[in-house]
Amino acid sequence: MTQNLLFLPIIIPLAAAIICILTPRNLRPAQAMIALAATLINLLISAALWGRQISFSAPWLGIGFEFSLRLYHFSAFIMLSVASFGFLVTLYSTVFMRDRNSLGQFYAYFLLTLSFAAGAVLADNLLVLLLFWEGLLLALFGMIIIGNKSAFKTATKAFIIVGITDLCMMTGIALTGKLAGTLTMSQINLPLGGLGSVAFILLMIGAISKGGAMPFHTWIPDAAVDAPLPFMALVPAALEKLLGIYFLTRISLDLFQLNPGSWVSVLLMTIGAVTIILAVMMALVQKDYKRLLSYHAISQVGYMILGIGTAVPAGIIGGLFHMINNALYKSCLFLTGGSVEKQAGTTNLEELGGLRSRMPVTFACFVITALAISGVPPFNGFFSRELVYDGALSRGCIFYVAAVAGSFFTAASFLKLGHAAFLGKINDKNKGVKEASFAMLFPMMVIALICVLFGLYNYLPINKLIQPVLGEARLEGHDYSGFPHNITLVLVTVIVLIGALANHIFGVKRTGAGLKAVDHIHYAPGLSQIYSMAEKRYFDPYEIGMKFAQFAARIIWRIDRAIDWVYDSLLTGAAHAFSKVIRGMHTGYYPVYIAWSILGTAAVLLFALK
Amino acid sequence: MLSLFILLPFFCLIAVNLPVKGARRLAFWLTASLFVLQILAVLLHPSVFWGMKEDLFANFFAINFSVNNLSLVIFLTIGIVGLVSLIIGKYTLANRPDRFHFTNLLLTALIGMNALALLTDLFSMYVFIEVTALSSFILIAVQREKTALEGAFKYLIISTIASALMLSSVALILLVSGSTSFDVVSAALKASSGSVFVKLAVALFLCGPFIKSGLVPFHGWLPDAYSAAPSAVSVLLAGIITKVSGVYVLMKLVMSVFGFTPVIRDILMFAGALSIVFGALAAIGQKDFKRMLAYSSISQVGYIIIGLGCGTKLAIAGAALHFFNHAVFKSLLFTNAAVMEQKLGTVDMDKMGGLTSRMPFTGMTSLIAFLSTAGIPPLSGFWSKLLIVVALWTSGMHGYAAIALLASVLTLAYFLSMQRRVFFGKLRPGLEAVQEAGTGLVITQVALALVILGVGLGFPFMLKTLAPLKNILW
Repeated sequence: MTQNLLFLPIIIPLAAAIICILTPRNLRPAQAMIALAATLINLLISAALWGRQISFSAPWLGIGFEFSLRLYHFSAFIMLSVASFGFLVTLYSTVFMRDRNSLGQFYAYFLLTLSFAAGAVLADNLLVLLLFWEGLLLALFGMIIIGNKSAFKTATKAFIIVGITDLCMMTGIALTGKLAGTLTMSQINLPLGGLGSVAFILLMIGAISKGGAMPFHTWIPDAAVDAPLPFMALVPAALEKLLGIYFLTRISLDLFQLNPGSWVSVLLMTIGAVTIILAVMMALVQKDYKRLLSYHAISQVGYMILGIGTAVPAGIIGGLFHMINNALYKSCLFLTGGSVEKQAGTTNLEELGGLRSRMPVTFACFVITALAISGVPPFNGFFSRELVYDGALSRGCIFYVAAVAGSFFTAASFLKLGHAAFLGKINDKNKGVKEASFAMLFPMMVIALICVLFGLYNYLPINKLIQPVLGEARLEGHDYSGFPHNITLVLVTVIVLIGALANHIFGVKRTGAGLKAVDHIHYAPGLSQIYSMAEKRYFDPYEIGMKFAQFAARIIWRIDRAIDWVYDSLLTGAAHAFSKVIRGMHTGYYPVYIAWSILGTAAVLLFALK
Repeated sequence: MLSLFILLPFFCLIAVNLPVKGARRLAFWLTASLFVLQILAVLLHPSVFWGMKEDLFANFFAINFSVNNLSLVIFLTIGIVGLVSLIIGKYTLANRPDRFHFTNLLLTALIGMNALALLTDLFSMYVFIEVTALSSFILIAVQREKTALEGAFKYLIISTIASALMLSSVALILLVSGSTSFDVVSAALKASSGSVFVKLAVALFLCGPFIKSGLVPFHGWLPDAYSAAPSAVSVLLAGIITKVSGVYVLMKLVMSVFGFTPVIRDILMFAGALSIVFGALAAIGQKDFKRMLAYSSISQVGYIIIGLGCGTKLAIAGAALHFFNHAVFKSLLFTNAAVMEQKLGTVDMDKMGGLTSRMPFTGMTSLIAFLSTAGIPPLSGFWSKLLIVVALWTSGMHGYAAIALLASVLTLAYFLSMQRRVFFGKLRPGLEAVQEAGTGLVITQVALALVILGVGLGFPFMLKTLAPLKNILW
């Protein structure tokens, strides 16, 4: 009986999704209520399942596969987080999405995402995982496509990028299954090296692209503008990080033995460091609230990958802690963006400003989460960053420098964002803006509160949630909660943050506007050209791939035309030419025919007598 | 009483010409019932009839008749095509005396062809080839039109060459074996197979049926004769006359007298392949509906000959089946031609267009017939071509198999262009008044289309159950 409980987090949202899509259009409030009820029940069940260890397994597909689910500490932790975000964002959506079109579809995809995410987390068989993982892609595609007019292009982009990386993951799963002789995740434990490394990298591509790391990130900023905002707050900001990092942790710690000495670890750290720097540099110059946040969603995943890639306990704990912290403050930041969009009607920073007095609660939530993401003590982001720095420094100075530089730009860009949106002079258009409704404020406040809580009482998440994931053996008796042990690192952090503030004040002094606070970086010699090329998407692997595909398509089209010409013109032309010759031979003049007959006879005789 | 196949048409011929009032009126029905009887005799296969060994006529003339499964196919084909031709003649030959002459000549040709299916003597075969040929010369020109006379003349002249060749061959063979009966000749040829004399005789004789069946390059007379003759006669020529006096004679001689020597097989397959390709290519550019059908006939005869040349049991079964199938679908196509000739007054395809809307039965049945010709499953033509191609492939003749297969594409090409020009699309202005053919012709068309469909759909079943087909492979 308890085994069947495992299916509830998958089935309840699934059933609610089906009901939502079948509910008639004129019962729109009902759709929201169904979704809210389903996510609440889902949250309660996930909470009830907390702390249990349940396994389920049944033969599947009739060809030797097992449909196996496993609830244990780590999956319960991720599932509970997913359910919580699901409930809070649904509550937010009931107001935010009220007047939108395709509401039934929105809730259906939303609930499907929750269902598949729960399935992917619970899966104990790589094939089952893949099934739900691909289901997520479908829901993602649907979710983007119901956005604004240009959404179809973005949805296609997301579909192709994620589809290709999922294909890598599929290959990786096949290879892992071949190497390990089983697809049951809890039974796989492979060493790296040779084919093992190939399998790991293929699975890693699937994991980090789900997390949104470079170079698989380019659909996220586009989706931020096109897709409905609650989707952004739930999926790229929270869920995908949770799932991607969950899977990355599983393959690094359980399925494979990632150790600090291996080149795969260095590869992971490099990806993480590059992602941090490049994405945050892009975030710095954005002029749209949501687009700016989306680049941070990419940048932050770099810290997690860097942390896990270090393969030392401090780094891994930091990465996982950063995962949950980022999910919290990033979704909250997106929700504040949603409030601004809902109330002021735009997220373009050039039209915003001075909203502090009009939307005080939103501003307060923004400040808390912005401080948290910038790594200011004593908020949660500070502690996870310090752990990541600690791990990175033990593996190489360069990674530490990259992480700290990322911190500088993060702080700078949030100073710019906050200044441009909430401080300064209010735009005339926004004079009548009011605070958002309670259903939208409540989720933000809850999340902001947790940010503070996880900072002040960081032993709660670290001791209860994260350290058990690594296990006693890896920890070697250390406890990573509490204030950072390495005071030098803390000092460096504080100096960097003060530097960011100084930089901001310098920029504002120089240009006189919060929005232009980083122009001296944006238009610095050398950087400005790179920025303008990036804005033109010269560095987007998808655009490059599409250009190549179009080029290849043109060549193939030419070849195709050539083949077509052979059939359409050459062959038929030859047939007609022959036909004409043969017809010309039939003159109707009978002596000719007689001659043919006699020649034919002669030929037969010659052949027979030879 | 196998001689009934000869005697009944003979007595019928006398009966309709008796100077009695009403005899002429009976001619059509008497002849029709004769064909029906022949069809039934094969299909029902009454053992009373086939089991009667005592044959007064044969004894009197001291000749041997023999019947095998191939002869049964020939009798059936003669019955069906003859009946169709008779019906078309009744509806399309305007002049009553012409119709009567047509019936008389048809009966004469029937005597000739039935005899060919029965005989086992070289010289007698030569005689009946001539009987068939003579009646067909006159049949072509039965309406005494100028082009028809020209066609008949060409046929006559070139047939004379065939006669000369065959007759000289018979003379040579008589010198070698002292007899013209199949058994003796066959044994004698085997005994002296190395002699140049024998080789010469065989090669000379082969050329006769080549001319008669219109294989490339002996085909010069054929398109003119087919297209100039009235459609009723074209059916007869394409369906049975050239096939029995040419193709069937060839099959019979090769199988029971000359044997499948490598030389004969090479000649047959080469001539077959040449005819397939040449006929199809020539058909592509034709404007005249009947002329296109004539070239198509050359191409299809090529399939039968290439199957015969391959010489395995499967190939000969395929050839025999294609013999029957070709007769049926070509009769149907010529019936379509007869309808158009009658209703439009022309067979020039450039003057047609979108006729399906005006003549749905003609359009649909011609579609079925041409799909069957091109060998599209599940129509009858598919199976016979399949057997031939498979037989060629399995006996290692990959090149010929490929030619046979690829030529189907050409077949499809010229028939599709025909369908597009004649039946598909919008009705051509000026053709609004065209009407569907009369009931008799429509029934004939539909019946033939049903035979094509029935044989095609029922073929897998027939292959297992129908004795003639199984046992054709003697």
